[in-house]
Amino acid sequence: MTTTGTTSQVRYQAIVGVVTAALIGALIGVALTTTAPVPGVAEVSEVVSVAIPIVRVLLDLAAVTTIGLALLSVLVGYDRPKLTEPIMRRARPVALAASLVWTVTALVTLVLQTAEYRPQVSTVSFADIGDYVVEVGAGKALLVVAVLALVQVVLGVLALRHGEKVPAEVRVGLGLFALLPLPVTGHAANWDYHDYTMISMELHVMSAVAWTGGLGAMVVLLAGNRTLLAHALPRFSKLATVCLALTVVTGLFNGVVEILLNPTIGLVTALFTTPYGQLVVLKVMCAAGIAVLGGMVRWKLMPRIVRHERTALATWATFELTVMGLAFGFAVVLTRAPVS
Amino acid sequence: MIRRLLVTIATALVALVVTATPALAHNVLVSSDPAKDTTLETGPSKVTLTFDAPVQGGNVNQVSVVGPNGTQWAEGEVQISSNIVTAGVRPLGPAGTYIVGYRILSADGHPVTGEIPFTLTKAGTGTPAAASAATGGGAVQPAAQSGGGVPVWVWILGAVVLLAIGLTLALRMGRDKA
Repeated sequence: MTTTGTTSQVRYQAIVGVVTAALIGALIGVALTTTAPVPGVAEVSEVVSVAIPIVRVLLDLAAVTTIGLALLSVLVGYDRPKLTEPIMRRARPVALAASLVWTVTALVTLVLQTAEYRPQVSTVSFADIGDYVVEVGAGKALLVVAVLALVQVVLGVLALRHGEKVPAEVRVGLGLFALLPLPVTGHAANWDYHDYTMISMELHVMSAVAWTGGLGAMVVLLAGNRTLLAHALPRFSKLATVCLALTVVTGLFNGVVEILLNPTIGLVTALFTTPYGQLVVLKVMCAAGIAVLGGMVRWKLMPRIVRHERTALATWATFELTVMGLAFGFAVVLTRAPVS
Repeated sequence: MIRRLLVTIATALVALVVTATPALAHNVLVSSDPAKDTTLETGPSKVTLTFDAPVQGGNVNQVSVVGPNGTQWAEGEVQISSNIVTAGVRPLGPAGTYIVGYRILSADGHPVTGEIPFTLTKAGTGTPAAASAATGGGAVQPAAQSGGGVPVWVWILGAVVLLAIGLTLALRMGRDKA
């Protein structure tokens, strides 16, 4: 294994860690929120109700990958193409594949939510999907996301052909923009504090995705390349600090407001007895874990990385990413769980 | 770099505020008539559910009243008036525990379900609704107007095939010139 300049191995463990953790997180969430079927009322099949969070978490991870890889170009900079080009050549097809997965998972979610929308019928036709899009905000949002992700696919193809002439900032910007529609139609909103919870939720999603994506892209593609790492990690570290603060503050704000707005239950009771509250507590624990691991990288490893020394960054960052994956898994269930 | 990102985020937020959306919320049941765990001598003629926020219309809202032995007693259309949902109930039959079940479409598009048990102490003269007419109303026939449709797994299979074709095509297109 050489770590000179251009060659660096890809850390597949990190990818496996994140995806597994995200799926496990989603399944734990599903298990927490499962309720006994209501008698006499038609309910959609369990397969669909479990598939919705699973596909949604895959959608989130595809978005994280797309945005993270676009961020990577910004982080490593454009002034040393000899060093960065081999890395970016590896990143571009992955980014393209991720944006395709993003598009398709958005469409699959649309089909699944249409099935959930009217559980009396077990089949789904184009007309049903049309009805869902017309009637329900989430349908419109998913359609918009699919279109925006498709634009990302086009940008991905262009980047594959023309390299960094396709500005990475555009890909990052469009990617972050495509994150906006889904939270808008989720239950982050409410009557009295609507504008604040909405903006707070959007900031939460964008910072969490940029943070996880940036870290993931660096660990998977850059961990073995000490020269580029010494340049990119300090830059990322500033971004990560902002993202950590934003994610925690906005997340707490949204969770607490959502619980307080439920007229039938108190804050402390809701936190520990309802699935919604338990998921909020689990996510707070994830955030604490990530902060500790992130601090470890920032204060213990980064000074040595800046001196181009070999460190155990990949291992620590893989832990951090796995906890992040878990938090994403909890999040997809949390966005749909009622406070009761 | 950070500044550029902040500009991006700020732009996105401005776009968000400009395209201001209606307030949406995950509905919570505030009160019901009959109330939870009440004891009644005569059955109610209708069920009223009051939520904290408006319920979305459409024919997807369901209300059921299930009596002893799983018999169905709700009848007619589910009526929605902002945040109040009502459904008719047939005259009840044998004494025992009845359960009002509901599945309504929350303002944020998520289905909200729940149940409210109540006890009937004096047997009525009514008879249950026909067979397995599971819902109190909103007879749903979306499949009829659209001429069927295919099961969900077919859609998912289609999506996976589409993804595979898309990946192959896109990666090949990209490689042509490289």
